Amino acid sequence: MATEYAFESGLTRRAFLAGSGAAAMLLAAKPQLSWADTEFSITTRPQGFDVINRAIIEAVQLHLFPDDGDGPSAKDLNAYRYLLWAIEDPDNRIDEDRQFILQGAAWLEDWADTQRGRSFLVMSWEEQDALLKEIAKSRAGENWLSLLLYYLIEALTLDPLYGGNPDEIGWRWLEHQPGFPRPKAGKSYLDF
Amino acid sequence: MTAARGLATKREPQTPHQFEVCIVGSGAGAGPIAYELARAGIDVVVLEKGDWYTEQDFVKDEQLPRHRVFRSRFDEERHVLELPDGEGGWRRETTAQFWGGNIVGGASNFMSGYFHRLKPTDFRLASIYGVIPGSNTVDWPISYEELEPYYTKVEQLVGVSGRVVQHPHLEPRSTPDFPFVPTVEHPIAARFDNACEALKLNPLPMARAILSRPFNGRMSCEYSGYCGSYGCHSGAKGSSRAALLNHAVASGHCRIIPRAKVYRLNTDSKGRVSSADYFDAKGESRRIQAKIFVVACYAIESARLLLASTGEKHPKGIGNRHGQVGKNLHCCAGGTGHGVFKLDKLSAETARGLKQRGPFFNRALQDWYVIDDKAAFDKPVKGGTLDFVFDPPSPTSEANALKWQEGNLLWGTPFKQKLKAHFTQSRDFKFEVFCDWLTHDECFVSLDDEEKDKWGQPVAKVRAGFHPHDLKVAQYLIDRGVEVMQAMGADEVWGNVFSDPTANLVAGGCRFGVDPRTSVLDPDCRVHDCDNLYVTDGAFMPNGGSVTPTFTIYANAFRVADKLLGRLKQA
Repeated sequence: MATEYAFESGLTRRAFLAGSGAAAMLLAAKPQLSWADTEFSITTRPQGFDVINRAIIEAVQLHLFPDDGDGPSAKDLNAYRYLLWAIEDPDNRIDEDRQFILQGAAWLEDWADTQRGRSFLVMSWEEQDALLKEIAKSRAGENWLSLLLYYLIEALTLDPLYGGNPDEIGWRWLEHQPGFPRPKAGKSYLDF
Repeated sequence: MTAARGLATKREPQTPHQFEVCIVGSGAGAGPIAYELARAGIDVVVLEKGDWYTEQDFVKDEQLPRHRVFRSRFDEERHVLELPDGEGGWRRETTAQFWGGNIVGGASNFMSGYFHRLKPTDFRLASIYGVIPGSNTVDWPISYEELEPYYTKVEQLVGVSGRVVQHPHLEPRSTPDFPFVPTVEHPIAARFDNACEALKLNPLPMARAILSRPFNGRMSCEYSGYCGSYGCHSGAKGSSRAALLNHAVASGHCRIIPRAKVYRLNTDSKGRVSSADYFDAKGESRRIQAKIFVVACYAIESARLLLASTGEKHPKGIGNRHGQVGKNLHCCAGGTGHGVFKLDKLSAETARGLKQRGPFFNRALQDWYVIDDKAAFDKPVKGGTLDFVFDPPSPTSEANALKWQEGNLLWGTPFKQKLKAHFTQSRDFKFEVFCDWLTHDECFVSLDDEEKDKWGQPVAKVRAGFHPHDLKVAQYLIDRGVEVMQAMGADEVWGNVFSDPTANLVAGGCRFGVDPRTSVLDPDCRVHDCDNLYVTDGAFMPNGGSVTPTFTIYANAFRVADKLLGRLKQA
């Protein structure tokens, strides 16, 4: 089946790494993408995620970190906006995370269409949940969700300077005590 | 950039200034040399590969270690690492794990600063315990007594806080106690002491290279809880930069050139080092001259530099006449263990205490520094140290590790609940075991034939085989740590022995000794067949002691600084 094939073959470098642990070797073997033409700072606003992809990713993020009455949801964490910013980080660009995330959203829609004959976006919460559990059974599917969760966690626990964790909502929920002095504009990790 | 571009040519303009002493590297092995010589009025230059940062730059941001901001980048510089493949061969990978801090002050900026001295027994392993078959253990060419005054000097100058407690393995001291009182202790320390007393052990307050009161222009600890792996904002941590280099520069006799990557030492027809070639910030090759050269750029890299510096008198690299450069590398053998306390099982007050962040655990056990236990070993063997510590906070990494449950991705409410329980309902305390990594023929540094760094220079290849004896000792000590955690009332306890090399704390590779056939340096840490070249980082150590080696690297560098002062004054 074509869609299943897409999931099974769509291993990115990171997807492969999860199984092999040979991060270093692969990074060395891979040609470096050119990102020198793009200035990346804490105010970068990347383009290219259209309204459909945005809706899919925001919906999936909410499944990963739901509004369940205990702690912030993905929406509360500003997870979507954080994701758009973070995937433009030079290291993350080398990892091609942006492409993998967009590709995964397309795969999810394909899978929804071939399996249920409908868009993921019009499904009920329960139907969406079932579909995500299905794709998590494939390695690429699980890696896609894992990558989204990776950035979502950053939006939960990194300093609010980077756009997630607004008003320290994540830290307060986890009772995490930050260090001091904290990073500030002009002293973010990108300024070194 | 092609390999040849930027390499020095005969017509290259040379840096006009003449320095007495040129130091390659700026970490724990370099700082004492620069400090002592500059303050004695001798002009020194320090060439550091990385940038120069100050306290103001060291904000407590998890993104800094996550993005390896202060370390060499994998895509620019890496090491080849060969590890046992489990079938008698070696598997090869490339890694950036050995870059512990590539800025002025080196990895000492990011250390936790657990400062244990070596003990007299560490200087005489071969004589006391015999050479374990398959190992290259030797006695040191100096005694503990010769190094003791310099440990004392480090305690006073770099600033070591602690409290001396009598115990069976306490090393002799020329001063009754540390010059700085201990840093503030976490409430868990009292619980630890009680458990150890019940087990008839000797709980020791751990000495730290952290100021408990202001000293010499540096502030005392701010107790932000972000210590090891983070740069120190107050200057309390005794990094080579904060404690020594700043003062060396202030003397007016020390110049630090950052972003200067030394790639070759040039030797003359007599075999003496005449100049060092380095790549500057623009990638252009520059040359610097001095009367004496000191190499201290981390054990692996120091061996690499000597091997890469071939010349008429040194066809196999400087000091490598007998093929000893890079040999007898060692890491810290041992492992780690954890004790997890479920806070809801404790009284509210105790739970509140355990959740505190800021003060230090600061406890160690050295009851098994020598293991005399017939049930485990048929004769006494060298054991090690257990340090009880907090992992530096890294909530993002911790949370990411929690998203896997039995190999499957966990998300949604179950994941949120797991996160919340981990962060708010439990506290994880850690112990680290340090024992000797026996030197042997399958742990060494050489130049790799294929990999090159961004300057086109061959990178170091580290073969890191381990001796099975180390695992046996480590397991013995891990088991003792687990017993202590259990006695403390931890709800979950586990420990693991490591056979992989530690990313930091690597030493050896240019060990010192009397016999040039089995050592690279003489007892003064001068290269045997190169009269004006010294190596003063951890490379000199024949064995690491069963502790982190930084304290000893500092002490030895102060000892060598005295030798250099004597030599330069005579001249």
